[in-house]
Amino acid sequence: MEKRESLWDRCLKQGISRRNFIKSCVTLTSLMGLSTECLTKVVEAAEAKPLPVVIWIHGHECTGCDESFIRSASPLAGDLVLSQIDLEYDHLLSAACGEPFERHLDETIQKYKGQYILAVEGAVSTKDNGIFCMSGGHTFTHLLQKAAKDAAAIIAYGTCAVAGGIQAASPNPTGSSGISMFTGGAPVINVPGCPPIPEVMTGVVMHVALFGTPPPLDGNGRPKQFYGNRIHDTCYRRPFFDAGLFAENYDDAGAKAGWCLYKLGCRGPETYNSCGNLRWYQGMSYPIQSGAACIGCSNPHFWDEGSFSDRLPKYDKIGDADKIGIGLGVLTTAGVAAHAVASVVQKSKRDIEEVENGGAGE
Amino acid sequence: MKEVKRKEYYLFSPFLRIFHWIMVAMIVILFVTGLLIAKPVQVMTPEPTYTLTSMDLVRDIHFVAAFIFCASFILRIYGFIINKGDRLFPRVWEGHFYEETVDVALHYMLIKPHHASFLRNPLARCSYAALYALVLVEVLTGFAMYYMNDPNSTGAFLFGWVNTVLGGEMMTHLIHHYVAWGIILFAIGHVYMVIRAEFMEGESEVSSMFAGSKILAHTPKDANELE
Ligand code: HEM
Ligand code: HEM
Ligand code: SF4
Ligand code: SF4
Repeated sequence: MEKRESLWDRCLKQGISRRNFIKSCVTLTSLMGLSTECLTKVVEAAEAKPLPVVIWIHGHECTGCDESFIRSASPLAGDLVLSQIDLEYDHLLSAACGEPFERHLDETIQKYKGQYILAVEGAVSTKDNGIFCMSGGHTFTHLLQKAAKDAAAIIAYGTCAVAGGIQAASPNPTGSSGISMFTGGAPVINVPGCPPIPEVMTGVVMHVALFGTPPPLDGNGRPKQFYGNRIHDTCYRRPFFDAGLFAENYDDAGAKAGWCLYKLGCRGPETYNSCGNLRWYQGMSYPIQSGAACIGCSNPHFWDEGSFSDRLPKYDKIGDADKIGIGLGVLTTAGVAAHAVASVVQKSKRDIEEVENGGAGE
Repeated sequence: MKEVKRKEYYLFSPFLRIFHWIMVAMIVILFVTGLLIAKPVQVMTPEPTYTLTSMDLVRDIHFVAAFIFCASFILRIYGFIINKGDRLFPRVWEGHFYEETVDVALHYMLIKPHHASFLRNPLARCSYAALYALVLVEVLTGFAMYYMNDPNSTGAFLFGWVNTVLGGEMMTHLIHHYVAWGIILFAIGHVYMVIRAEFMEGESEVSSMFAGSKILAHTPKDANELE
């Protein structure tokens, strides 16, 4: 069998200096959320480990995750695809197409059985035997099952692959769901987000590539280093929340002053993501920083949890839970008051009857 | 007026009674602060630095009340262990429980003039069991939100699964909020029922949660539960 290159081998080939190689290792170490002591481990892995073969497939989705991915700055997405991983198959980024391309997929799966990383974007559509999402003449479900069977690890990129995403929104006409029911035994790393942050996408695949194992995961299968905190607990507007200073409208003085967006429906208090600390596009900004409330895009059913601009969902004309609650409270109070009156009237009637019957009532 | 011979039944241990009143106070505090958390009220001062509202304080009061509430269950459980009168829960495994429930329900629907005498009637037993179930939901969802500020903590290990089971932490917030209203609806009905029993049926209900005893005219059907 041919000897597969490591990252260092490839640097040598491309004339990249040792200094630059070590520099990228430092970047990778910090990006993967590892302590500086782990740098030697990262360097050793980058020197010795063959570049990982990656098969990247796309299901029911908008490919927005790719748009995010190609904007990764450290590592640069281009570097990653061209020199840090062996991307053998990708619906979107490949120049090849058609019959030979599909054959290449089968060959890759055969050749690297049990060694390749499978990256999946997009949901599985399950209704009507999955005909809503086809590729290469087969349903996506078929492709996913085929590719997942021999994968060393599977990365579910984006909320679609993790939980079904937008196409799973009620009434979910295509029966879309996350991929985890179709992947068999291989470990699945959930990287939710709509889309996930670019550096999170590259960071996760590099972790699997260098260490051969998934990064430490939380109870929902998400890498702890990127999904270990709620936005709310890392948000720079948090002091305004604690002080009770809220924007009430997107165009009021509070919004201008940069106060907390809680009352505008911000989902930061229940959303796990790195927007608050890593931020987007080389740490430039993130939605809340640019003045928009978080919509909780990395939560499994964020699209079906009420209006994005209200904390409590409104039920048509009746209003939200507090309105309904007050209504029911008034009704209950009126009900017990009526019951009290009726009871008293009934009792006094019976008492009179009792007296008339000479107290023989009881 | 007819002379009625009454007999005193000692039911509630002091532990249950103290627990009950701690619970009443904490539910009120939790409900008010909870609504304020969901919809904060802003009191604007000319200079925001000196704002008079503090979400932090409101949340802290909610959390302290939650811990006191949970701690007070030690009293409830101790009472349950040492005193038979503290164990008046629905005896769904006893056949006559169901007829009696219907009987009592008919009485409260103003169809039957009387229902048999009970230490605690089966309908009331059901309503208290239901209230404790609602409280359990609040405790589980409450701590699930509370401890997830550090998903690696022991608290998150104990309660974090609630968020997954409910399908996301936003659902936890909503269910916590809706069930809070459920508890208030129970409270309205409950307060009415105990006051009604006190005055209409002369069953010294309200006082029983202070003095511990009910003074009943008829021998209650469930008197055997005290033996
Ligand atoms: C006993 C344990 C309880 C704990 C640990 C607890 C904890 C919490 C937490 C962590 C929050 C979220 C605060 C935030 O988003 O900043 C909350 C909100 C709330 N709590 Fe509780 N709570 C408890 C009991 C109750 C009870 C008994 C009631 C009402 C009777 C209640 C009513 C509320 C309400 C209405 C909210 C607002 C929910 C929302 O829309 O986000 N809580 N509570
Ligand atoms: C001023 C208001 C209240 C009064 C006078 C009151 C009075 C009483 C009385 C007399 C009992 C004993 C009933 C019996 O055994 O038949 C009782 C039991 C109970 N009450 Fe209240 N109550 C009040 C408010 C509340 C509130 C706000 C709650 C909770 C939301 C509550 C929850 C309960 C529960 C759970 C029990 C059953 C105790 C047990 O055996 O575990 N009460 N209350
Ligand atoms: S803007 Fe959102 S995430 Fe930031 S503090 Fe306010 S509620 Fe929390
Ligand atoms: S701030 Fe919220 S909605 Fe926006 S990208 Fe981050 S997690 Fe998604």
